[in-house]
Amino acid sequence: MSGPQVRFVKSSNPSPRLFSYITRGSFALMMADTTAVPSDGGLVSAIASGDESAMGQLYDRYSAVVYSIALRVLGDAGMAEDLLQEVFMQLWRNPMAFDSSRGPLAPWLVAVTRNRAIDWLRKRRPETPVADVASFEPDLASKTEFARSVGKIRAMLDRMPPTQRDVLEMAYFEGLTHSEIAARTGQPLGTVKTRIRSGLLTLRTALTP
Amino acid sequence: MSVHEQFAEDLALYALGALAGPEKEALEQHLEVCSPCQSELRQLQSDATLLALSATGPVPPPRSRERLLRAIARERRAPVTVPKRSVWWLLAPYAVSAGLIVVAGFLWNQSRSLNRTLANLRERHSAMEKQLRVAQDLVNTLTSPESKQITLAPVKALPQPQGKAYYLSSSGHLILLANNLAPLPPGKVYELWLIPSTGSPIPAGLFQPDSRGTATVVNPPLPVGVEAKAFAITIEPTGGSPAPTSQPIMLGAAG
Repeated sequence: MSGPQVRFVKSSNPSPRLFSYITRGSFALMMADTTAVPSDGGLVSAIASGDESAMGQLYDRYSAVVYSIALRVLGDAGMAEDLLQEVFMQLWRNPMAFDSSRGPLAPWLVAVTRNRAIDWLRKRRPETPVADVASFEPDLASKTEFARSVGKIRAMLDRMPPTQRDVLEMAYFEGLTHSEIAARTGQPLGTVKTRIRSGLLTLRTALTP
Repeated sequence: MSVHEQFAEDLALYALGALAGPEKEALEQHLEVCSPCQSELRQLQSDATLLALSATGPVPPPRSRERLLRAIARERRAPVTVPKRSVWWLLAPYAVSAGLIVVAGFLWNQSRSLNRTLANLRERHSAMEKQLRVAQDLVNTLTSPESKQITLAPVKALPQPQGKAYYLSSSGHLILLANNLAPLPPGKVYELWLIPSTGSPIPAGLFQPDSRGTATVVNPPLPVGVEAKAFAITIEPTGGSPAPTSQPIMLGAAG
């Protein structure tokens, strides 16, 4: 392993999340023992080694999610297609940008897509890198499970007071800052903040039984 | 919840990308040192992902897939490797890791019933990922512009022994590469010390030179964020000492 002159006297401890990711996400095939589905981590590793078919599989898994978010933010099918292309090309050119030790792939792709779409919308240069994202409930590998989860999320948003839902959507899908939202809606800054937080906390309960 | 109340609302705004200006800066500073707020942020980012999923439904036209596959075929490339400045042995964990993935893929194709073998491979894969992380830390410590490079020279006029320490205070990562070290008498060990700007020397790893006088210390347990004034090496009884018990044989000021 190591070279002749190198001795690892003491190595750093990997984060506990690394372990949890490996046991939880990396080998998603545990979920479906009848069909051996490559895990996201396995596909990204294959992409890193130049495997074009792995890229196709990953596209089939996540293109609809990426495209939907791009379309929701940009409101234009042509631009959404271009952004879809860019997000996947970025992964092809630099698969190491996704760090599997910091969380699963799906929420990372969601965050990358949303951030790039807002960058396009506001015609600004790429801004925030995507930070860690905690685990992610809906199982995108199962279409029925995923559709059911999306239904629950939508139902929860529909039950929210419109003033609350609007501030969440303005922040996330339009990329407005809290002061821009306050200016646009005429709500006091403090009210905008409180509504955004309680809105997110309400959304958190959408998938709990 | 142990999240600091004064940051609770700003964390939610931050998770949605809606916090700006001095409030954003203040929160980012706080996040660097507050792990409950970090984990609440991750949770809020997951909540934001749920919001994103409310938009799902539309599917891209089939031509998008063709377009992507054509584009990546035009940019066919060799496997991704670590940055150029790394030395060959840093590639080893990547190569082994990639090799392992190939083996895993082969097994998947071979049979779906090799669950036990797979469990074994998973364990090895996890070990490889750990090594990969170590290698990434190494590359970062060696190549980061913030990384301080300190050359340690013998205190007395012995020309040969030399040590180089690479230290990244922001992450607490430290690498020492030493060579031409004199062999130690029985019952003794070399001990590396981080001498902070203020306070007592901090033990930074024990090591024995190999038959060629070479030794390496990689990422000893160190507190994060300590500014180093200097690094030193002393000879200590086996097992090391909590504080130096002899004069340093090598010393280097951190520039």
